[in-house]
Amino acid sequence: MFLKIVMNDVRRKKIISATVLVFITMAVVLGSSATNIIANLMQSIAQLKTHAVPSDLTQMHIGPYDQAAVDRLVATLGEHIAEQETMFLLNIEGSDIHFGANRTMVDTVQDISFVVQNRKFDFILDLDNRKLEIKAGEVAVPIYFMKTYSLNLGDVLRVESRGFRKEFVISDYARDFEMNSALASSKRFVINQADYDEMLAHQVGDMEYLIEFKLHEHGDLRTVRNAYRKAGLPSNGPTIEGKLFSLFNALSDAAVVMVIVLISLLLVVVASLCIRLTFLATIDEDLREIGVMKALGISRKDIRNVYLTKYKIVAAVAGVIGYGLSFLVVRAFNGNMRLYLSSDLSGSLQYVLSLVAPIAIYLIIVLYCRSVLGRIDAISATEALRSDIMQRGKHRKYRFPLLKNRFLGTSTYMGLRDVAIRIKLYRLLFFIFIVCTFIAILPLNVFNTMNSPKFSTYMGIGQCDVRIDLRKTDTITADFERLLAELENDSDIEKHAAYITCSYPAMTADGRWEYIIIETGDFSVFPLQYLEGEAPSDAGEISLSFAQASADGLDKKIGDTVVVQVGGVDKQLKVSGIYQDITNGGKTAKAGSSLGLQHDAILWYMVNLDIAPHADVSAKMAHYQSTYASAQVNGIKEYARQTMGNIIRQMGAIVIGGLAIAIVVMVLITALFLKMLLSKDMSQIAIMRSIGLSTRQIERQYMAGTMVVLLPGIILGVLAADYLGEILVSMAMSSMGAASIRFVGIAWQTWLVYPLLIIVVVGITLSLSCKVAVAEDLSVVLRS
Amino acid sequence: MRTMLEARNIHKKIALGEDNVLHILRDVDLQIGEGEFVSIMGPSGSGKSTLLYTVSGMDRITSGSVVFMDQEISSLKEESLSKLRLDHMGFIFQDINLLKNLSLIDNIMFPALLEKHADKKAVHEKAKKLMEMTGIATLADNSITQASGGQLQRAGICRALINEPAMIFGDEPTGALDSKSAAEIMAILAQINNQGTTVMLVTHDMKVAAKTQRVLYMVDGCIVAQKHLGPYEESSDTLVDREQELMGWLVTNGF
Ligand SMILES: Nc1ncnc2c1ncn2[C@@H]1O[C@H](COP(=O)(O)OP(=O)(O)O)[C@@H](O)[C@H]1O
Ligand SMILES: [Mg+2]
Repeated sequence: MFLKIVMNDVRRKKIISATVLVFITMAVVLGSSATNIIANLMQSIAQLKTHAVPSDLTQMHIGPYDQAAVDRLVATLGEHIAEQETMFLLNIEGSDIHFGANRTMVDTVQDISFVVQNRKFDFILDLDNRKLEIKAGEVAVPIYFMKTYSLNLGDVLRVESRGFRKEFVISDYARDFEMNSALASSKRFVINQADYDEMLAHQVGDMEYLIEFKLHEHGDLRTVRNAYRKAGLPSNGPTIEGKLFSLFNALSDAAVVMVIVLISLLLVVVASLCIRLTFLATIDEDLREIGVMKALGISRKDIRNVYLTKYKIVAAVAGVIGYGLSFLVVRAFNGNMRLYLSSDLSGSLQYVLSLVAPIAIYLIIVLYCRSVLGRIDAISATEALRSDIMQRGKHRKYRFPLLKNRFLGTSTYMGLRDVAIRIKLYRLLFFIFIVCTFIAILPLNVFNTMNSPKFSTYMGIGQCDVRIDLRKTDTITADFERLLAELENDSDIEKHAAYITCSYPAMTADGRWEYIIIETGDFSVFPLQYLEGEAPSDAGEISLSFAQASADGLDKKIGDTVVVQVGGVDKQLKVSGIYQDITNGGKTAKAGSSLGLQHDAILWYMVNLDIAPHADVSAKMAHYQSTYASAQVNGIKEYARQTMGNIIRQMGAIVIGGLAIAIVVMVLITALFLKMLLSKDMSQIAIMRSIGLSTRQIERQYMAGTMVVLLPGIILGVLAADYLGEILVSMAMSSMGAASIRFVGIAWQTWLVYPLLIIVVVGITLSLSCKVAVAEDLSVVLRS
Repeated sequence: MRTMLEARNIHKKIALGEDNVLHILRDVDLQIGEGEFVSIMGPSGSGKSTLLYTVSGMDRITSGSVVFMDQEISSLKEESLSKLRLDHMGFIFQDINLLKNLSLIDNIMFPALLEKHADKKAVHEKAKKLMEMTGIATLADNSITQASGGQLQRAGICRALINEPAMIFGDEPTGALDSKSAAEIMAILAQINNQGTTVMLVTHDMKVAAKTQRVLYMVDGCIVAQKHLGPYEESSDTLVDREQELMGWLVTNGF
């Protein structure tokens, strides 16, 4: 019986009912997909870490190596160290790796290492997060290389070096928690032990060691690090703490994940706004109907039943449809993410998780219904029949009389005063516009920031054309002198600066000596973007990386003094500035050349240079690359493109995705909102038409009303994406260990193109949905 | 006497189903002269309202032609039809149909303010005058929930008059009012008519029809008879005569 009344009601108000249904369905789809995606991503990251078991401390080393000495240290630090394992990397030149039709990997800035899977921890995984087990003759290739060189499973890689030749069939993707990110400068290819031994026997590649430590849960990283240094164990290379891998991931893949999570959360907000909107739009009508029922003497219980049944049915139908649709959305989305994170919510969990949204929405709707029913007791039946709930509180002063209007056309004025009168309703639309604009602009800001030349200075790289790194060999010092002499006399080199990095003992805040990496040289030639303060001038100053200055490092502020031992002598250095650096473990320092070198602890040499405008850059680079055997010559643009390229591409996809989502949501909501508003106002519109207003004039009213909400909404959305977004992203970043990020906005995009695009699209939607029906006879509405 | 409104052969059909066509108006001819006061009577469902709405251009006709102030309105575009209605027609409805978010005086001024260069002051003056004339001057700033049915109907009349229309259409404007209010409304309409405005009323109330000059009788979508009563002068003995005369006529027509 109730069902029959309800069905009649639905049939009578087709447009409103359909719109309410679509709105709630949309809310369910958004909410369901968002919870599903968030749960999926969170779980994937956690699972990846669980399966990969990354190391807590890794010392990279090139040169003579003595495992027994390391074992002795581990024995004395049993209370801190849980496991130790050394991975033997065979570093192979990109030019020695051949694939496809005569191509090699010569142009990569990444170091390529062939390794055998670890036994204890730091595992390299396949796409299903399983530990890779590679058969002889096969190789698992890092995702980064699979993408960069568009490789496919089954393709053949050929290693050709010093007369040795071997072919490998690509059998799997290698997902490497520690080195997944393009920001990590090397990548590990996994092969079988037999193949590895064969290459080793033929002296293919250079040996590098990853001396890895897994600590106990309460093991102290600092103690282990210092004991290691004190013991004089192999340390020719950077020391990397486990946290850095998270940071790398945070700045690359995880940045993408975070933006997606943020968008999902915002979509949940939009969904709840939609539901509220639906109720506000229909409440008058509902109250009137309930009033009629009340006047007819129908009991409160029966009224309750009819009303609740109606919305329960709508919510249930919308829930089922939305629940189903959300899986399509999630599937499309996961297809794209699968490479980077295994998205493998086990079994029925995802079906359960996706239920959260529809159930929550169902409950919210029932709650709303109850609050509407609660109002019935507060007002009399005739009151419900006569007046408009939006303006209840009738002793309020009459606002916006028509004569107050001085400057606007009457239609425009009517539209604006409608916004003011039904502010509750329009306010929701306003919030939705803000949130959607935020969704569209925030990824753009992140993208532009990552894409900007300034961002490379976040990586601790000064702005220059080319950098030359000298790798540690027997002839390194002689090579370095020779290189500097040649650069000095090369007229094609506009300017250059040499930097030498050594490790020095420095006094920590709690009075202990700890080894830190200090780069010395002239930092005024290629200035770095400083977070605070400035580069060290030559005498008695030092600048610290953000991580080194933090409590986790030396714990210093600008103006503090750092005591450093050089050649056994204590030197007092004043902190002149703090910069962002994610290279070499993130904890670095810079000081003028006058600090002096720690000759027995020189780590590496680096030269930055700018090439004169008239010179041929690539020829110059090739010349230096071939003249100095130990040199690695990289163009900075290329370097940045390769390290940031992948993430920038992903972020680019999100920019498009975010914009698309925002626009689709805005278009749908705008269209539905107007449909609802127009059919709600049907009788008022008919009255206006009978007076003699043309449909154009009436449409102008609704256009003006919606536009006056849309424009400030978009402006506020852009502002929010600029300022609030920056704060949010900075917070996320600093929780991962990076310093604050400043957005590098591109004004014509954030302020012109994007907002304009949104305005145009929503404007078109508006003018299309703002159609007052003309075909019908006016009297049909007037008489009903 | 010039013709204000002329309908020729108008036909209105509505398709209810596959082969179920409802003929609401069947070949109706109607001529109303300038300054006339005409009423339409007939049983419920005979098509009175439909006739009113079609000749005033609110509803479309299926065939035939309607000429209002020398303009063929069935061929007009929506925009110019609306303009014609705004400038030259006024409407009064049984359920009044005021806009709910406007005060009474704003409801009344609204049609006049739609003109691009409306003189707001003049419009305000005129609205106040009309409200005085209809006796609701003190209610100007009231909302539509703060007035009685009769008061609202007077506001409706003021709104219909604000643009000084050539013709007023009323669909049972007294239908929902008590007899006292109804008589007052009729007095106002008569006064307007005296000042030269043409009036066409649909009513089922003989007392109302008796005060008009000419009564048309509709049955089943056709005008079957008409009765000239002549101009009505305010005095109760003539009214009783007119009512009796009308009554007799209606009975012969099967009322
Ligand atoms: N849009 C419509 N759809 C279906 N039937 C209609 C429509 N408009 C009017 N009718 C029918 O046409 C007939 C005439 O209606 P109406 O003009 O309102 O008569 P009256 O005003 O004389 O009572 C009635 O039977 C009514 O039900
Ligand atoms: Mg009628």
